[in-house]
Amino acid sequence: MTIYSRGETLLQVKDLSLYYDNKCILCDINFSIDDIIRPGIQQGQVVSVIGRSGIGKTQLFRTLSGLQQPDKGQILVRASQDTTPFKAPSLRTGLPWTLRPVHAGDMGVIFQNYYQFGWRTIEQSLRLAAHRNKTLKGMENDAIKEYAAQFGLSDVLKRYPRQLSGGQQQRVSIIQQLLKGSDFLLLDEPFSGLDVCVLDKVVSLLLKVSLSHEFKTLIIVSHDIPTAVAISDTVFILGKKDGQEGSTIVRTIDLMERGLAWEKNVAERKEFAETIREIKLCL
Amino acid sequence: MFRPFEKISRTTFLTLVALEAIVFLSLWQSLPAGLIPSPLKIGEGLGGLITSSLLWDNVLVSLVLTLKALFFSVLITLLFSYLSVVPFFRPIAQFIIKCRYLTLTGLIFIFTLLTRDGSQLKLSLLVFGIVPFFTTSFMSVILQTNAQEFELCQTLGYTRWQCLYEVIIVGKADQVFEIVRQNFAIAWMMITMVEGLSMSEGGIGTLLIKYNKYNDLVHVIALQTVIFGLGLFFDYLLGILRHWFFPYTKL
Repeated sequence: MTIYSRGETLLQVKDLSLYYDNKCILCDINFSIDDIIRPGIQQGQVVSVIGRSGIGKTQLFRTLSGLQQPDKGQILVRASQDTTPFKAPSLRTGLPWTLRPVHAGDMGVIFQNYYQFGWRTIEQSLRLAAHRNKTLKGMENDAIKEYAAQFGLSDVLKRYPRQLSGGQQQRVSIIQQLLKGSDFLLLDEPFSGLDVCVLDKVVSLLLKVSLSHEFKTLIIVSHDIPTAVAISDTVFILGKKDGQEGSTIVRTIDLMERGLAWEKNVAERKEFAETIREIKLCL
Repeated sequence: MFRPFEKISRTTFLTLVALEAIVFLSLWQSLPAGLIPSPLKIGEGLGGLITSSLLWDNVLVSLVLTLKALFFSVLITLLFSYLSVVPFFRPIAQFIIKCRYLTLTGLIFIFTLLTRDGSQLKLSLLVFGIVPFFTTSFMSVILQTNAQEFELCQTLGYTRWQCLYEVIIVGKADQVFEIVRQNFAIAWMMITMVEGLSMSEGGIGTLLIKYNKYNDLVHVIALQTVIFGLGLFFDYLLGILRHWFFPYTKL
């Protein structure tokens, strides 16, 4: 069993409800994401929100990203040190931090169709993101080149989004949000419509991203259960409880506790298959 | 070629255009002589016009006026269209759009009072006539903006004003060319009318009115052909400029 412990809370969803035409779409959603600490490893967090089509995953995605305001409740995120009004020392880093309501722009968002500005070349689009990152000031071009090389996109920097394949567009979206420097990366159906080879690449890419910083947190909203579970440390199942109008988190599965997180070839294990079966039963 | 949605090459299309034009002109030429002049006679008139400085002097006057009017119209359109995303300014933009239902007849006197000379009168009338159509087209482009464009901008941490700059001002810049291209015809159509109001400066409209006054149909149609040709040329030129300034529009 891998040794790990939980650190400070990075994201907290409290009593979140969302209504549409007076109908509750998302009801009383509560969950939190904590910093996972593994000795000797810079380990980020990978969390999956799984649910059937039409259950409200996209609404939850939009609310988490700050693009849509919830009707009730709130989403709190760990604020960066220089913007916090009330500072408390972090147990892990010793630096001041706090939780504050999420705003659009707090999270890196990767949309399902990897949307990019059609009028900007890839390099220009990446620069738009890099300029938002204070830590890259004066080094934006170097960072773009470095990421592009790392993600195999050096040759397409001068091209427009329409000239790229779906896989390349996805990588551009990921780099763009990484350059922006947000700790949170929210991905809407990142495995949808990918062939097996590309899927493997995307999975290793996401794992690589999750290891890039201690606080880097990937929130994957997906209906592809096996792939999402294979790379996650925690799974939240969005479903409907008996007698409840809207959707809520019906189950939380701690994959670390089950020894199913950060394991290579985890999909071949018997426990993994059992977990998938368990998740399917909850949907 | 006769099936719906059949795809044809550009060469085939151009051949079709040429063939159909030849057939049309041949049929026209074969009609018995009457009040309407034959294509050959119009061709002779056109040849005479093209070789005379009279035509080109007047074309230049009209072109300068049209380009001035387009410049001011684009400026006004962009200003109010960009501001239309700010709720406070939306009613003004909506009012400009509705102004396209107004006719200039009756308003000309007011414009005469408001302007200093014939040149200003023509320019202001053209701008007044063009702006509502430009604004209508550009507002429709703004309204059809993909919500994801704003959302991507927001998720990158840009403020609403920065999103306006990126998504509308930069992102829709190519559409300005397209709108000018589509609505150039309106300016060209109005030129005849406004030039008729102050004929001292000349212009293609003035020339047309003069020929029309003496029922010189050969030169009227020849002049119309020149106007048509110039319109096509500008349509092509604006298309080329759009692709040149905004290479992504070719993709």
